[in-house]
Amino acid sequence: MKKRPASKARHNGASRPAAGRNGQRPADQERRYRIPDWRLERPQFHVTQKRTEAGEVRYSFTGDLDLAPPPIRESGYLTREKSIELYRWMLLNRRMEQTLETLYKQSKVVGGVYFGLGQEACSCASALALGDGDWFAPMIRNQGALLVRGFHPRDVMMQYMAKADSPTHGKDGTSHYGDIAQRNMVSPISMLGDLIPILTGVALGARLQGRNIAALTWIGDGGQSTGVTHEGLNFAAVQKLGLVLIVENNLWAYSTPTEMQFAIEDLAERAIGYGVPGMIVDGTDACQVFDATLEAVQRAHRGEGPTLIEAKMMRMKGHAIHDAAGYVPPEMLEFWRKRDPIARFEKHLLGKKWLTPAQNRELIAEVERQVDEDRTLAEASPMPDPAQAPKGVYCDPGCHPITLKYGGVKPARRGGAKLKQSEAALHFR
Amino acid sequence: MPAVTYLEAIRLALWEEMERDPNVFCIGEDIGIYGGAFKVTDGFIDRFGAERVIDTPIAESAIVGAAYGASLTGLRPVAEFQFMDFIACAFNQIVNVLAKSHYRWGAPAPLVLRGPSGGGVHGGPFHSQNPEMWFVKTPGLKVVCPATPADAYGLMKSAIRDNNPVIFFEHKFLYRRIKEELPNGGGDFTVPLGRARQARAGRDLSVITYAAMVHVALEAAEALAAEGIEVEVLDLRTVLPLDREAIAETVRKTSRAIILHEDTLTGGLAGEIAAIINEEAFDWLDAPISRIAALDTPVPFSPPLEHAFLPKVEDVVREARRLRAW
Ligand SMILES: Cc1ncc(C[n+]2csc(CCOP(=O)(O)OP(=O)(O)O)c2C)c(N)n1
Ligand SMILES: [Mg+2]
Repeated sequence: MKKRPASKARHNGASRPAAGRNGQRPADQERRYRIPDWRLERPQFHVTQKRTEAGEVRYSFTGDLDLAPPPIRESGYLTREKSIELYRWMLLNRRMEQTLETLYKQSKVVGGVYFGLGQEACSCASALALGDGDWFAPMIRNQGALLVRGFHPRDVMMQYMAKADSPTHGKDGTSHYGDIAQRNMVSPISMLGDLIPILTGVALGARLQGRNIAALTWIGDGGQSTGVTHEGLNFAAVQKLGLVLIVENNLWAYSTPTEMQFAIEDLAERAIGYGVPGMIVDGTDACQVFDATLEAVQRAHRGEGPTLIEAKMMRMKGHAIHDAAGYVPPEMLEFWRKRDPIARFEKHLLGKKWLTPAQNRELIAEVERQVDEDRTLAEASPMPDPAQAPKGVYCDPGCHPITLKYGGVKPARRGGAKLKQSEAALHFR
Repeated sequence: MPAVTYLEAIRLALWEEMERDPNVFCIGEDIGIYGGAFKVTDGFIDRFGAERVIDTPIAESAIVGAAYGASLTGLRPVAEFQFMDFIACAFNQIVNVLAKSHYRWGAPAPLVLRGPSGGGVHGGPFHSQNPEMWFVKTPGLKVVCPATPADAYGLMKSAIRDNNPVIFFEHKFLYRRIKEELPNGGGDFTVPLGRARQARAGRDLSVITYAAMVHVALEAAEALAAEGIEVEVLDLRTVLPLDREAIAETVRKTSRAIILHEDTLTGGLAGEIAAIINEEAFDWLDAPISRIAALDTPVPFSPPLEHAFLPKVEDVVREARRLRAW
């Protein structure tokens, strides 16, 4: 296996540079920040608002559309077996979402459906890079991550159909559920960015109990504009907690292009402002996503703090199923269709002879079978009993034990100080 | 055991809980070496170390989010707001993440959010508010507003041991103004959440109140006793969940009710309590329910303005006489 060159991030130039007398810094004290960019291509796009001849304001697009899709970058870590596992998760991710679309069209879904089409590599490869003891919290496009971390397609389907046997028993929908006991998953909430300090806190809780864990979550190119994103990442950086933050730059936030969301070129550059490593990967290249996440996870396990990874890709459907995304210039979709993450990875595996066409067909059929079975089970689940609606607001005695995930804080190294009279407050006597 | 101030009682409860349970830790701004803006955690870092007394960036959403995350691993964080006015900066984490966590996905959030609230100290619009009603509206939270050192101590212990997110409003006017000997000879005790306390018994009229206004009510009761009006004072202690029983009981006993709070009138707790009285004790009422609350304005800064803003003893006396004569 080929080892990746230059994959280590170098940052912050370590020491604080002092300006010399003449105002110039000695060369060795200059700040040098570097964001490793693992992509093999750097397409240039620009989306602006323009008034058409008909007098309407629409998005107009300029960019380099003729670039041929690059090859998949060799992974430094993925074995044949692991690669096929990853490929299977991506297939399952897509197939499950296709089935969700069908269920929606049959009016069996309550509410909308969200898709991660075109983003399966980003969801699945990153989740697969986590260790067993690590934590994660998916955003809405990371339904593939749920599968990788041990949930079944039927769990997601039942959530969308608001069934009694869904993980939240109908209390919430979509991917909004979690599992503290086994799968180390924090339930997402709709408010974008909130998961970032929360996952940081999970890593804090683990560290207080003597464990350095990685805590993975994702944020969109739109969601990263929220204040809580800044608060969370900054806190993780200050405390050197093992947050792994993947910024999914899929070029659109609902109907808003990235040009109207931020004024820097690469969101990974934000890492510099927090003093943490940042890197850029092609989000449609499963190998790049896996390797970058794995290295971030390893950093977290070593107690070296958070990492920001920007994954570049494209949201290949509307915001949700109701949204036909007519505002997206069609050339953009055209360009990214040639970079379909599953097709690219499939070609890679076939090319390396890690997968034969016959095995591939078998794998696809097996995934379809699994989704069909799960769909049958999910549809058979009853709707919840209305008597459940008032229940569960509080955790009452006997309802849930509070379990220390890592054995609790070791009460070591207490000082001998005794509680004394506190000095007078300086505020408002 | 010598008498302790309201603030010392909180310190003591917090300290003892951290001694008792190594999984309790404090997180907040300037709480470590400095000991917090009001010195509630003064000296804690010397005893429990920087691991369990964590100074944070000025980022309230991060503090609450991180406390919640740590609670998911089984710990019991106690997060300090420098002033409860700044709880607004973490509003989303509290009402959308914490409050709904157990209902939505069965994840208990055993944590305490605490800090100084309340006026009477000339803190102005951003250091004097009583923001409890922002949260009383939100199912899934518990909201505590103690009025005495003993209750502050016992409720803090209950809050830390509770498996739900508890918002603990410490009234900063009371911090160093009131003192009492703790019951139980200095030994550990708790005060249950969700239970009111009869602060004074009386037969003629009930004043239902909480936090610093308990002391206003007691002072008014003393004055009214001289006129032969025996006032019962009910200290709610916990404002979410409310002790409906105790509210119904006192009104059924006295047949007259004043609801008094330092929070502003419109959307204040008095409206909710009036509705509970209507539901539970309407037939017993001999006079209309009276609400006494702060003006519907921001908390003004200048002392004469703030004085005009806050409910006063004479307001209670006046209303009591009016209801008595009804
Ligand atoms: C704080 C907040 N504001 C608004 C919304 C409504 N909303 C949901 S998704 C979305 C767009 C998100 O875009 P992006 O972060 O780029 O993620 P993507 O949908 O592209 O994966 C918006 C505006 C929200 N969920 N949270
Ligand atoms: Mg986006």
